[in-house]
Amino acid sequence: MSDLDLFAWGSGWGDELARGLLITFEVAIASYLLGAGIGLLSAFAELSRQRPLRWLAQGYGLVFRSVPELLIIFLFYYGGALALRWALKPLGIGRIDISPFLAGTVALALIQGAYAGQVFRGALLAVPRELVMAARSLGLRRWQVAVKVTLPLALRYAFAGLVNLWLNVLKATPLLSAIGLQDFVRAADTAGQNTKRYFAFFLVILAVYLVISALTLWFQRRYGDRLFRHIAPIAGGRP
Amino acid sequence: MMELDRLWGELPALLEGLAVTLELTVLTLLIGMALALPVALMRNHRSPALRWLAVGFVFLFRGPPVLALLFMLYYGVPQIAWIRESWFWVLVADGFTCAVVAFSLNSAAYVAEILANALRAVPVGEREAGLAAGFPPWLLYRRIILPHVARLALHNYGNEIVFVIKGTAVASLVTVVDLMGVAQQIYSRTYDPFTPLLAAGVLYFLLVLLVSWGVKRLEHRLSPELRGPRLARGPSK
Repeated sequence: MSDLDLFAWGSGWGDELARGLLITFEVAIASYLLGAGIGLLSAFAELSRQRPLRWLAQGYGLVFRSVPELLIIFLFYYGGALALRWALKPLGIGRIDISPFLAGTVALALIQGAYAGQVFRGALLAVPRELVMAARSLGLRRWQVAVKVTLPLALRYAFAGLVNLWLNVLKATPLLSAIGLQDFVRAADTAGQNTKRYFAFFLVILAVYLVISALTLWFQRRYGDRLFRHIAPIAGGRP
Repeated sequence: MMELDRLWGELPALLEGLAVTLELTVLTLLIGMALALPVALMRNHRSPALRWLAVGFVFLFRGPPVLALLFMLYYGVPQIAWIRESWFWVLVADGFTCAVVAFSLNSAAYVAEILANALRAVPVGEREAGLAAGFPPWLLYRRIILPHVARLALHNYGNEIVFVIKGTAVASLVTVVDLMGVAQQIYSRTYDPFTPLLAAGVLYFLLVLLVSWGVKRLEHRLSPELRGPRLARGPSK
């Protein structure tokens, strides 16, 4: 079998790898969006005036940023099914299984949420207080200030951090292969086991990840500057 | 959810796993630093070729997931015939060495970026003052630039230590019996996920807390500007 035949569609492993890449993207996008939502909530909670709310958000962030991702994933996958079974026993629902996709997405989303919380917190704190006060004195309501003044600016400040988080979540998805998700890395592993050509398959995996991360960094640089055009220094000097 | 009897019985095994985790962490940090320092210096070098080489190193080892790097070393590289016959073989001989190599390369890429940024942040006046005072380059680096870099980089390096500690758990996927590996073994023997995983989680958490606290103290010691003005004791007259 020549090297190219290894990656053929159907007879080779091309379609399996493509399916793995698709699953990787599905999990990454789902947990990224979910994590961003959790992070925004937790940032607002951390900056709130309610002390218990602050403590809750800080505790959540500290735990999920300090424990290995793999451990959290295992806990959600093996522990989650067991806990659900106990919880639903009184209702007469006996057998419950959680798919690796579901448990993994939730686990990754919570981990991402802890990091996104930090990104959003910093971005919210970077919004000048004077702008918020000016908006309030113009008669805007609190929620209007949040939606029309604070968030649009905070999202700009958060942009670079949020793109980095996308790379993080993309690089964390292969951990889900440990609980049986047929992701990109797992597909290469299976192909390697069957053909004994691990090197070729993992080389392709590494190359694809490098291309994705190069594209992401290009995107970050191109649009990161654009978001700050309104305060960019005027080019050139004296005429 | 936690079963205390089981926890007591398994605690010695978990602590043995913790020792392996520490071993992985320390080796990764040492080798990572040894690789990162030259890369960081190259990153800011006058020669474009050296700069691009450093950029390539960082891109290559920071881009892909650690697990893919690790699997490449563990499953892929040993298949190449000439590797098996050369001294490179030692590097990919078993799961532990593969893990150390993969983690070190990955961490070195991150640390190189941290150090390169810190190097750029050292005021140019310090370098000029050293040169004007007749310091040869190596002494300039040893006495003036690198101490300042250490201070500037410490905060981000502390975060990197935490990432390395957490990252070592992946070694359990290539047969290394570290803290995570022990927890998995206990789970597959008892079918109780909570006791071993929560216990291991607490140990990781405490380790990370301890390291963060240590780094913070060190930061405080090294940066007088963080300490605020020293106030005179007692009534001044």
